[in-house]
Amino acid sequence: MRLRVSGQDTGDTYDLDAVSGDATGAMSIPAGGPLNAFAEAICGRDLDAIAGARQAVVDSLGEAAMVDAAAVIAGFNAYPRIADATGIPLEDAKQAATAALRAELGLDALNQSAE
Amino acid sequence: MGMVFDGAPVAMRPEIQAALEQAWAELGAPGDWLDGATRLAVAAEARWAWGCDLCARQKAALTPYAVDGEHDQTGALPAAWIDVVHRLTRDSGRLTEAWLGRALAGGMAEDEFIEIVSVTVLTITIDAYLLGIGMAPPALPDPVAGAPPRQRAASAKPGPGWVATIAPEDVEPDFADFYANDSHFYIRRALTLLPAETRRMWALLNTLYLEDPRVHELDGLDRAISRAQMEFLAARASALLGCYY
Repeated sequence: MRLRVSGQDTGDTYDLDAVSGDATGAMSIPAGGPLNAFAEAICGRDLDAIAGARQAVVDSLGEAAMVDAAAVIAGFNAYPRIADATGIPLEDAKQAATAALRAELGLDALNQSAE
Repeated sequence: MGMVFDGAPVAMRPEIQAALEQAWAELGAPGDWLDGATRLAVAAEARWAWGCDLCARQKAALTPYAVDGEHDQTGALPAAWIDVVHRLTRDSGRLTEAWLGRALAGGMAEDEFIEIVSVTVLTITIDAYLLGIGMAPPALPDPVAGAPPRQRAASAKPGPGWVATIAPEDVEPDFADFYANDSHFYIRRALTLLPAETRRMWALLNTLYLEDPRVHELDGLDRAISRAQMEFLAARASALLGCYY
């Protein structure tokens, strides 16, 4: 939702569907490809892939950007786990605000596996 | 005493290094319900889980609940605790309320569950950042002696998720600042059954991402990537973990 809001703030349009798929393109995010590979390598704990992905981000955006990207990816190794371990729901206002987006991306079908 | 993260191969923002140093030191100190040695055993189990064969098979299965077996483990924790740490580490996107119920029935208080979640997540998060910037995660710190208070937060009530939390309207004066500036998001509330542990978690997360994500773009914050790039990474990491919160 916040990516969409950022796009509204700046006048940019992003392919939000690319975020939830197995393989994303660069979208219209600058250095989206290298950033995506960096996120995939860290979240997948792929030690062989992390070094190359890190260097690709450095080559594209610089070392400071790589460090800040790593921080966001690390942070979002926490928020999802906290939410999913405690069953925290979306607030009503966010449910309403994201209803169309969630339907478009098919996210509601992905909530919690059956046992 | 030297700082643990002085050896980082790249320059990091000072507030991140300070938060990392603090989080690392607190990992082995007495928490709200667990002593320092037990917290470190949980952290060690979280690291061990990345090599667990059962976790790999469960992750690959259509549903993890159809795959039986025993976790590869350090041997330092009860079975129910091990499953919480491993599932949270390797397959957090498919946790269910029934899974939580079995964990609690298997031998842990709800308060202990929250601290296990927090210590596991802190360990994963710190390691993820260090691996990202090219620094090998250090050995876990030595435990700090002392007993945790193990006092249930009197103002905690069930919900809005599966566990008890402290609602903004019920908060005691010594924790009211946590909800200042109308920052009542449910995610911030998730671990508040343990107020001190909640502060430990958010002291780190506030520096890694944003203390208040409602800010307009970056609104003067010093970052080398744009807000859109940050939100792309946030959304992508969440999706990779199977979280659509």
